[in-house]
Amino acid sequence: MRAVDGRIWLILPAVSLLAVAFLVPVGWLLSRAFTFPEPGLQNFALLWERPVYMRVMMNTLIISAIVTPVTVLLAFPVAHLMAHGSARLRRWLVFLVLVPFWTSLLVRAFATAILLQRHGVINSFLIGFGLVEEPLPLLYNMTGLLAGCVQVLLPFVIFPLYSSMARIDPGYMRAAATLGAPPVRAFLRVYLPLTLPGLVTGATLVFISTLGYYIIPALLGGARQQMIAQLIQDQIAAFGNWGVAGALSLVLLAITGAMVALLHVTVGLKEIAR
Amino acid sequence: MSMTTRRTVLAGAAALPLSARAQGAMDLKGTTVVFASWGGAYQDAEKVSYCEPFAKATGATVVQDGPMNVAKFRAMASSGTPDWDVVDITGGFLEVAAKDGLLEKIDPKLVTLSRIEPRFVHEYGVGCIVWSYNLGYSTTAFPNGAPTTWADLFDLKKFPGKRTVLDQPVASLEVALLADGVAPDKLYPLDVDRAFKKLDQIKGQTVFWTTNSQSQQLFVDREVVAGIILNGRVYDAAQKGAKIALSWEQNIQAVDYLVVPKGSKNRDAAMRLIDTMTVAENQAKVANLIAYSPTNIEAYKTIEPKLEPWLCTTPENTKKGFIMSQLYWRDHLKDLTERWTAWKLA
Repeated sequence: MRAVDGRIWLILPAVSLLAVAFLVPVGWLLSRAFTFPEPGLQNFALLWERPVYMRVMMNTLIISAIVTPVTVLLAFPVAHLMAHGSARLRRWLVFLVLVPFWTSLLVRAFATAILLQRHGVINSFLIGFGLVEEPLPLLYNMTGLLAGCVQVLLPFVIFPLYSSMARIDPGYMRAAATLGAPPVRAFLRVYLPLTLPGLVTGATLVFISTLGYYIIPALLGGARQQMIAQLIQDQIAAFGNWGVAGALSLVLLAITGAMVALLHVTVGLKEIAR
Repeated sequence: MSMTTRRTVLAGAAALPLSARAQGAMDLKGTTVVFASWGGAYQDAEKVSYCEPFAKATGATVVQDGPMNVAKFRAMASSGTPDWDVVDITGGFLEVAAKDGLLEKIDPKLVTLSRIEPRFVHEYGVGCIVWSYNLGYSTTAFPNGAPTTWADLFDLKKFPGKRTVLDQPVASLEVALLADGVAPDKLYPLDVDRAFKKLDQIKGQTVFWTTNSQSQQLFVDREVVAGIILNGRVYDAAQKGAKIALSWEQNIQAVDYLVVPKGSKNRDAAMRLIDTMTVAENQAKVANLIAYSPTNIEAYKTIEPKLEPWLCTTPENTKKGFIMSQLYWRDHLKDLTERWTAWKLA
């Protein structure tokens, strides 16, 4: 039997804070799903009977499934430059990625709107140069939502990817080339698999974060970009209906849990913790 | 001692109506009344116009709290010992809360109800401000004549361009039916199928707003040329230089009420704070500060004339408008919100 680390008491403050500020209220909300307004499964029955709830849930999953690959694709070259560029370049990139990280989410959502609106920066530019006649519909639709989500979530992929890439010995790629692998093949067979832990961690963070997005779809999305967090908020704020809100949260939590389990099976949490 | 003389004077005043007597007395010294509202400039105006005169007249202390939140209100009133004594709530929630037994009845012995227009007085609350859903439009988009009716909002040929509609069935469904030719007195119960069918006409051209500031910003940024928007928001945007105007045709009015949550420890003091709100001068102060419409029509005597065109309870705009049925929405809001969400996704 292994002895318990003598310093374990050092985590007590963090653990008790989590218990009080997170586990208790979340547990309370989730328990409402079975107890509000009366004990039973009526809240889940309602979600089943009224198709709108599961349609919004599906909608949320689809939006997350679109946001995730777009974010990963955009993050990959940035992380690559960070890991393999000069130290000076790395410092600049880290700074540039972190600046928006320190900026309020609301400010960034409104900034995105200013960029994308009908008389916004992008459309004025396109019309000014005669590239389009009518302003492009970039806001209050999937494009607006995508732009908003991706810009907020990029750092969540860039940093895990960077930490995986920084650990890749450049000698591996040279070895692959020496052994006759063309660059693309060497990348796909040697480099990419080595970035997988960071890539999967980042992708999972993005997917799970997007599932719970509330402000961004409300401000940048359109009628069809209705997401589940907006419905949960409505249930509580407009109707005081903790039961349905709890049931929706529980379904969302189950999906999130399934995602983490999938991650554990495919990449292994041990690999990520390394 | 001076207290004794004051008591004697008070005893002599016993013949006066109770509320008049209460106004003059410093008999609430030591009492703390908690006032909760929606925060921001609105609550600041209420503080100056209702709470401070009340505190000055009665000696009570008024503590500001909030923001008002349905879930919080419900939890407090159900517990039987609410932290809030006087709360500013919407007419929609008033009907729900009254039905669910979350409110104290208004005491006519403590509140001078005769000062308020009867249509703004409820058994469980007294109307403090009125706001309206209006047709707002860009003053630059239509040089050949501006839209004036709800039907114009749905006329994409005559008035082309993006619209904005609030992201909720409340008021949106009423507007659709009015645009389709239903008379205001024949609106309720709403013909929901007909309303959604009408809304289909402009759905592709519509941006939905979720917050009032967003509705205003959409006009400022020229994202939309017409839409459903609150009168106060058009006023605010116009003050800030936006090219926006509003039509009063068939304006849909909604009322905010002051209420006392069930079980308030300071019920009588709370009622007297509500009584202070009913005074014309106090209501005029709110209107002069943030251009919300009074429920005591006497207030117009001291409201700045330049504000009148923006207010919905003037005799002229009252004639053009009607009050939304909060009883209808109490019973149908949940189902119609689900249907609204499904309609948006379809």
